[in-house]
Amino acid sequence: MRITNLLFSRVGKWSKQYSNLPDRYIKRAMEQVYWRNPKGIQYKPNAVIQRKKYLFTLNRPWTAEFRQDNAPGKRHPKVFVEPIKEWSFFRGDRVEILVGKDKGKQGIVKQIIEERNWVIVEGLNCELKQLGNDKDFSGVYIRSEKPLLVTTEIALVDPSDLTATPIEWRFTEDGQKVRVSTRTGRIIPIPATAEETIDYKTKATYKEQPKDTGANEVTDITFVPKLCTFEMDIMENMGIKEDRIPAKSYWY
Amino acid sequence: MEKRNFRKFPIYNKRGTRIFKQQQRENPDPDVPIHKRGVRDIGYQEGDKYIVIPEKIPELILKPYVSYRTPDVIQSEFTAEDLFNVIYAPKVLKDFKEGKLDADGQPLEPSQEEKMTAEEAKIKARQTGSDIF
Repeated sequence: MRITNLLFSRVGKWSKQYSNLPDRYIKRAMEQVYWRNPKGIQYKPNAVIQRKKYLFTLNRPWTAEFRQDNAPGKRHPKVFVEPIKEWSFFRGDRVEILVGKDKGKQGIVKQIIEERNWVIVEGLNCELKQLGNDKDFSGVYIRSEKPLLVTTEIALVDPSDLTATPIEWRFTEDGQKVRVSTRTGRIIPIPATAEETIDYKTKATYKEQPKDTGANEVTDITFVPKLCTFEMDIMENMGIKEDRIPAKSYWY
Repeated sequence: MEKRNFRKFPIYNKRGTRIFKQQQRENPDPDVPIHKRGVRDIGYQEGDKYIVIPEKIPELILKPYVSYRTPDVIQSEFTAEDLFNVIYAPKVLKDFKEGKLDADGQPLEPSQEEKMTAEEAKIKARQTGSDIF
């Protein structure tokens, strides 16, 4: 039971992908340690009391809003999430919405929230919120997309006939794993914007900054295997010669 | 405001009041030296002047960040076997092919590394330059 708690509290791979943040930072930003055992042999080592169950919302887990939603002491009713073996929806995929106001409309995936099986489609399935209501001012309307469940409310669009299809992951002759629409058999390629992050569109088009080392310098192998220790190597380079012979010592 | 001399609260560099920092600049207190945070000096003080030694200035070849374009480098562990394969193996192979090994398998024309005896190795292990402590 403890293992599943930890597993379900982890942030999904595709949820973190766009932010390009290191895992260590996300873990550090999310963790809420309430008590840590002091150091000492009389205390149980590595005993921590921390928050294990998080409520994953539309806010990213490393933000302050997420921290507010998961403030210490806040408990929420259990959110039931269907475990999906293989995540098949990527940023930039064309999907069709099957339920709601925008049923039948097709849009492009903008954000993925894997922990709740959510996907945000650009401009569709929105809610209008009225903010800033005053006595005199009627307020502003803000349109924000509502998340869609990947298992029931969304379907990938087959490029050959531009209609919704259920898909399967199959292997090509070359051994590559691809999504195939079960109705037509057409391969649905993974969009190029799946690789996109907030820092770059693709790794190949990344603009090198002045403080970046180039690929040549990083992959350059300058190691020459030598039969001498580090100290001996320095002695050779500096011209230090050791001629003294240490006196023999005996153990009785 | 007199000089501050708390032992429990070190007040290096940018810490302290404005007057204290001014005093430190003109007449530094010997108890509160400048904390260099591990950076080594590039010269020495000669009276009023500071003389820079150009050889002491570190040469930065690699930049702090790596571009996203670099492919992933996977390096396997460099074991003692790999070191043997680089240093001794080519000579042994060459000797074997040319037939320069005698009946026991010892080389007839040993290289510098092959000539080393156990006593020599023990002496080397105790001289400066060994890493066995």
